[in-house]
Amino acid sequence: MDNLNSAARRKKRRAAHIFTIAFIVIWAIYSALVEAYVMPGPWPVLIRFFEFFSDMSFVMHMIWSLFHILTAIVISFFTGLLLAILPFYLSITKTAIDHRLTPFLNSYSGIGWTLLAVLWFGINDLTVVFAITMVLVPFTIINIREGLVQLDREILEMSKSFSRNKLKTFRLIIIPSLYPYLFASIRISFGVSWKVALTAELFGGNKGLGYLLNLARQDFDTPLILVVILIIVIFVYSIERFFFKPIQNNLAAHNANI
Amino acid sequence: MLTFKKSNNQNNSSKYGWLADNLLGWILVVGAVFGWWAISQTISDLVMPGPIAVGKTLAELFFDPIFLDDILISTIRVIGSVIISVLLGMVLALLPRNYPITEIIIQERIKPFLNSFPSVGWAILAVIWFGSSNFSVMFVQVAILTPFCLVNLTEGLKDLNQEVIEMGNSFSRNKYKIFFKITLPLLLPYIIAAIRIAYGVCWKIALVSELFGAEDGIGVIMLRAQTTANASMVFASCFAIVIIFMLGEKLIINPLAKLAEQK
Repeated sequence: MDNLNSAARRKKRRAAHIFTIAFIVIWAIYSALVEAYVMPGPWPVLIRFFEFFSDMSFVMHMIWSLFHILTAIVISFFTGLLLAILPFYLSITKTAIDHRLTPFLNSYSGIGWTLLAVLWFGINDLTVVFAITMVLVPFTIINIREGLVQLDREILEMSKSFSRNKLKTFRLIIIPSLYPYLFASIRISFGVSWKVALTAELFGGNKGLGYLLNLARQDFDTPLILVVILIIVIFVYSIERFFFKPIQNNLAAHNANI
Repeated sequence: MLTFKKSNNQNNSSKYGWLADNLLGWILVVGAVFGWWAISQTISDLVMPGPIAVGKTLAELFFDPIFLDDILISTIRVIGSVIISVLLGMVLALLPRNYPITEIIIQERIKPFLNSFPSVGWAILAVIWFGSSNFSVMFVQVAILTPFCLVNLTEGLKDLNQEVIEMGNSFSRNKYKIFFKITLPLLLPYIIAAIRIAYGVCWKIALVSELFGAEDGIGVIMLRAQTTANASMVFASCFAIVIIFMLGEKLIINPLAKLAEQK
């Protein structure tokens, strides 16, 4: 049975490789048929890809994007954590935060924040970080709130019978039980932030990959557009696959052991 | 005795708490609007228009036939894109069930690729490929929404009750019959969830998709407003989207979900 499974799996894997190759071949054939600016072939894009990394100014744009994203994730994480925990201790703020603030933030569009921030702060890093943060905060609130709802009441009660020190309970009981949710909120924030960052930098930034994308768009430099997209696809996928997934598996295994 | 007291307390707090919570919720809204008004008084209208100016612009958006056309066309495109991407997501999610060989292709190639593809990237490429048109806008929306639907429906298929499907298999060999009578009804809650998510995401990215590749729609109004430094219109178009989104959720999605539950 195991053999059969692995054989089937190998077959599927082969099909996937054939699919990838077919995709690149069709791309190459199609690019030969149309104008180069409409669809550059895989080869020019690959060359451009390596050129990108040998040019320091391009790499700096990438580092700036990373900086924007990480700053926004950190700020939105702590803002979201605070806003999610507030109703837990001050139940009177529950409706205000859960039924007014969060749905509002959640349905307000990222591009709206960007355009407003441009009017408010001008075209700079603050605008970009502000726009990304505003989009991430509701995701963080919703995720951490879910964790607080799922909190084990019995453990909380037990901790109360051991100590009346609220800070101690928070640090030793609540935060550790929230770990999976805190982690999930960072993971989601990371995935969303890349997509928002590009839009924000495109309209409100003077550096970063989104800004580069805008320059490339104005020059009809399609290879550069595809290179920037490729970099983001590779980056997001690798971080997800080689950083977040192993940690998540570790967390799950750890929780299962308890 | 202790438990009785506790539950009694809880009852009380939930009764008055509900009132207090709601009151505070509305106080927050009123306070926010008031604070907004106070700030707008001290800053130029170009930077921060007050709630009254934005309210007026918002009313204009919904009552001026020219603007109404833009809102309508954006709404129609959103609904069309949601339907197409849910169907596409369903086809992609169901394919590995009938053709197991496609499993890795879809789950480890197409899904992560679409999932990590930046939305602005689609928007820029669509203009280069298809020019400014309705097709271009809807292409961007479908490209962004399909992975969301695929992820959701794949989860749904995993949770499907295999026993029921097996039972169906023992009653009939007709694949279509089994699909329409058993798989589809079982999948219905997940389809509704996919529609709900796709609808919410679609309104958020409608603006992005309309920024480059559209000649009409709310995104165009907003971009035009931004380039002419008409901040109250930028605000109003964002609020308009929030309002239409909520209306659609209350009037279409929620009844649809109820209908599905009854079945």
